[in-house]
Amino acid sequence: MRIATVQSLKVAAKKARSERESIKTEVLVCAGTGCLANGSLAVVESLERSICSRKLTAELKLGLKTTGCHGFCEKGPLVVIQPKGIFYKGVKPKDVKEIIEKTLISGEVIERLLYRDPNTKERIEEYTEIPFYSRQLRIALRNIGKIDPGSIDDYIAVGGYAGLATALTEMTPEEVIDSITKSGLRGRGGGGFPAGRKWKTCRNAPAETRYVLCNADEGDPGAFMDRSICEGDPHAVIEGMVIGAWAVGANSGSIYVREEYPLAVKHLQLAIDQAREKGFLGDDILGSGFSYDVHIARGGGAFVCGESSALMKSVAGEVGEPRAKYIHSVIRGLHDQPTVLNNVETWANVPWIINEGAEKFATLGTGKSTGTKAFSLVGKVKNTGLVEVPMGITLREIIFEIGGGIIGDRPFKAVQTGGPSGGCLPEDKLDLPVDFDTLTEAGSMMGSGGMIVMDDRTCMVDTARYFLEFLVDESCGKCIPCREGVHQLHCILEDICAGEGQPGDIEKIESLSDVIVSASLCALGKSAPNPILSTLRYFRNEYEAHINDGKCAAGVCRNLFSFEISEEACVGCGLCIKACPVDSILGEKKEVHRINGKTCTRCGACRNICAVDAIKVV
Amino acid sequence: MTKTCVDPKKARKILDRYPSGDGTSLIHALQDIQAEFGYVPCEAAELLCEHLSVPISKAFSAATFYKAFSLEPKGDVVIRVCTGTACHIRGAQTLVDELCSILNVAPGKTTKDLKFTLETVNCVGACAMAPVVSLNGEYHGNVQPGTMSKKIRGGK
Amino acid sequence: MTNNKTINLEIDGRFFQADEGMTILEVARREGIEIPTLCQHDALEPVGACRLCLVEITHPNWKGWKGLVTSCLYPIEEGLQVTTNNPEIHTARKTLLDLLLARCPEATYIQKCAAEYGITATSFKKREEETTCILCGLCVRVCAAKGCNAIGATGRGITKGIAVPFRQPPPDCIGCASCAHICPTDTIKYTDTEDLRKIWGHKFKMVKCVSCGRPVMPEKQLEFEAAKAGLDAKYLTTCPQCSQDQTLATVQSSFQSKTVPGGSLEVAR
Repeated sequence: MRIATVQSLKVAAKKARSERESIKTEVLVCAGTGCLANGSLAVVESLERSICSRKLTAELKLGLKTTGCHGFCEKGPLVVIQPKGIFYKGVKPKDVKEIIEKTLISGEVIERLLYRDPNTKERIEEYTEIPFYSRQLRIALRNIGKIDPGSIDDYIAVGGYAGLATALTEMTPEEVIDSITKSGLRGRGGGGFPAGRKWKTCRNAPAETRYVLCNADEGDPGAFMDRSICEGDPHAVIEGMVIGAWAVGANSGSIYVREEYPLAVKHLQLAIDQAREKGFLGDDILGSGFSYDVHIARGGGAFVCGESSALMKSVAGEVGEPRAKYIHSVIRGLHDQPTVLNNVETWANVPWIINEGAEKFATLGTGKSTGTKAFSLVGKVKNTGLVEVPMGITLREIIFEIGGGIIGDRPFKAVQTGGPSGGCLPEDKLDLPVDFDTLTEAGSMMGSGGMIVMDDRTCMVDTARYFLEFLVDESCGKCIPCREGVHQLHCILEDICAGEGQPGDIEKIESLSDVIVSASLCALGKSAPNPILSTLRYFRNEYEAHINDGKCAAGVCRNLFSFEISEEACVGCGLCIKACPVDSILGEKKEVHRINGKTCTRCGACRNICAVDAIKVV
Repeated sequence: MTKTCVDPKKARKILDRYPSGDGTSLIHALQDIQAEFGYVPCEAAELLCEHLSVPISKAFSAATFYKAFSLEPKGDVVIRVCTGTACHIRGAQTLVDELCSILNVAPGKTTKDLKFTLETVNCVGACAMAPVVSLNGEYHGNVQPGTMSKKIRGGK
Repeated sequence: MTNNKTINLEIDGRFFQADEGMTILEVARREGIEIPTLCQHDALEPVGACRLCLVEITHPNWKGWKGLVTSCLYPIEEGLQVTTNNPEIHTARKTLLDLLLARCPEATYIQKCAAEYGITATSFKKREEETTCILCGLCVRVCAAKGCNAIGATGRGITKGIAVPFRQPPPDCIGCASCAHICPTDTIKYTDTEDLRKIWGHKFKMVKCVSCGRPVMPEKQLEFEAAKAGLDAKYLTTCPQCSQDQTLATVQSSFQSKTVPGGSLEVAR
């Protein structure tokens, strides 16, 4: 039913809250992409069946809810039982009976399903005490894991659309822009441009029509913050966009979502339909006379469409080639009209700022980087998943306290931030505060929030080669420096990784990179050499070892090393024999194993599985 | 390219979702065609372009620019190896190499018997479970060399 | 365009005035200042793809900031200071041509351009599949400007190319061969015989000149041009040579007869 006025929104919120309060115990099952892949739907179905057949809903005042991503994807499927906050990980359908009988009926905790701290080895009962969660401060991710993303009532119950009501009825558009400017909110998509300033320029640009768009084309490999927000709290994005549209005077817009994120598309579409039905989208929103509607534009799988001018071309049904932005898209954007484009996380912050106040947001973080930032913490780190932390926290805190350190306690080598346009930072940069400007100064960038941790088994030359391969594949091909230059950089790196590097290659890389940076048309090309330049800055010795000594000490570039089993370390357990896909490891149980170098493909499966670190790179 | 039979009724059903003459719908409609037929058949693109009043060259440019489209029919099982950064440093390339040699196709190609299509994808956003391989959209996490080949060999 | 504001700017230390809305390249060319280009054509919209026309810009109000922009796209502004050549720009142009030579080692036009920068052989890895196409996109743009949109770009990145849709003779092609004529590297080929023009896999029947009988243009182009101009096709069926001859003849005869063409015939004095 349509919610036509602010008063009726208040009534609806009260009703939704009281319904929530009647539930004594709530079982929250994560149904984000990660947990779904680990089989969380089967857990939900099993829970539903058992709860239904035993008629527990009425008896225990029990609620069951599937939620968006809790962030701790590696440990999925995750089940949280509120209000106690009991956190179960790796739950299988066969555990459901025990959860119902022990935890839900008798109030006991099942030790086996609890999270165990990888460092202290202690089992932790409550959600909020797990270091992965306890160090976080969630604003953009505030509702994710707590509400059912498929239910607008759930969103309204936690204060959803109250920010929109405030903006529409108590604030002028200028006041909204002032508030966003005061909050210091900067675009979370990578550029870090102040959102308030962008909105103001758009509002002041003379035009009949303006657009407000959302970039959900999260293209950086290794980043999935926006995916989780779209899947887990789609209404926060929509509410932010309507507030933004009111502020700049736009009446329509689009959300540009990657087609590789089918669940995000589904949840956003559902949320849009619900918001239209309730009247938060469409004509005369909350009786204000203001109209705004939003459509989904599915991306076609092109990284370059994260660039604003390419995205707008794609939304208009064309090939996503960027144009020179000597006139900014905020003045001449979609269909040549003034357009505000912000990414998912930026929009999700907006309702919070209106509700809680710009000052509160501005006190978080550092001087020029206020608020929080969501990161996807992945790679060779113990606790992988989604984290949101105040700006200014150090890389070390994120990786070693929230992330629990490196898998297998191996040596840390580098952390990659900023996606393909970013860079790799070494150990001596771990105490840098994470904010827009510090990371850029250090030769990387904030980017959209991918944070990939690398250990001593990651080759930095190969990492640079990997990013260049990505960029060769994703370059639109319009301008020569990006299309031909990045391809040539990739060729040189391929040669180096194949053991065919030549003296002078490094200098050639550097001079070509200079031209690509200065001459490319768009940001993709201009930043394409960053992965090489940052690894050359901090790991030049690895390049030199590849070229001059023909060695890849990390054991990645296959022509430049071989594996050997250390006689002292090998315990003859046979794990590597089983793991080897080409049957190249020989040896009897409890005797030292041996690798047949002739047939070994150096895939590293043995090294990954060996518990005593007996597989050595030579 | 060989002409294949495209059910005009199916194509027409897709076109009806979009107002005629609205060129901005080109990418959306192509996505629907890709979903319906598993690729973008020339005949379907021709019908679409006529409907939207878009030159066929634009549809061809879009269908070859965006990775979501293919011009050839795909196999019964589409294997997508995620080659996002997290997957890469956890060994995705080894998986790609392995699958290439088992299936005897290059990434992006389909086996001659039309059973398998091997693709790489730049991050599916399931980085916490790296490396990830999806079989017809179903995700498999923490895949080790050897495990995929067993799955594929089983199905072959 | 007469109401346009006049803009004052500086190029290579010289001061110029020009109408608002012009690009740096347009002003420079007007003043005889040379800036190299590959993808630019006066009759077509600029796209900034080849990057050869990079120039450095700065402004007294920009607190010392300066940067490289493509002069074919950058609109002039009051007080702008432009440098059309310096060591950085020279290196960039030289590298771009070196890269193009790696792509198209056999393209004589690119060889000539590269030689002007002292490059006789590329310092990069040569492309495996040979091509002479530099992807300037002039062919696609001229086809679009003509209103045909018969050919387009295909793929992206290093595998980008120019192609006909679905690798079939393009249905929208009228056989005008504008694409071939505008191509700076002579990559697009066509052949004309008395009766046929072969291009992009098509065989177009040629219309014969009503006067001399030589081929004028493909029938399909004739229909297209006549429809576009709203003329009867018969007005377009004289070949350029005969049109010129006829015009000349008319002018000459008018001098001889001292009458306007079409007037009564008088005997010359």
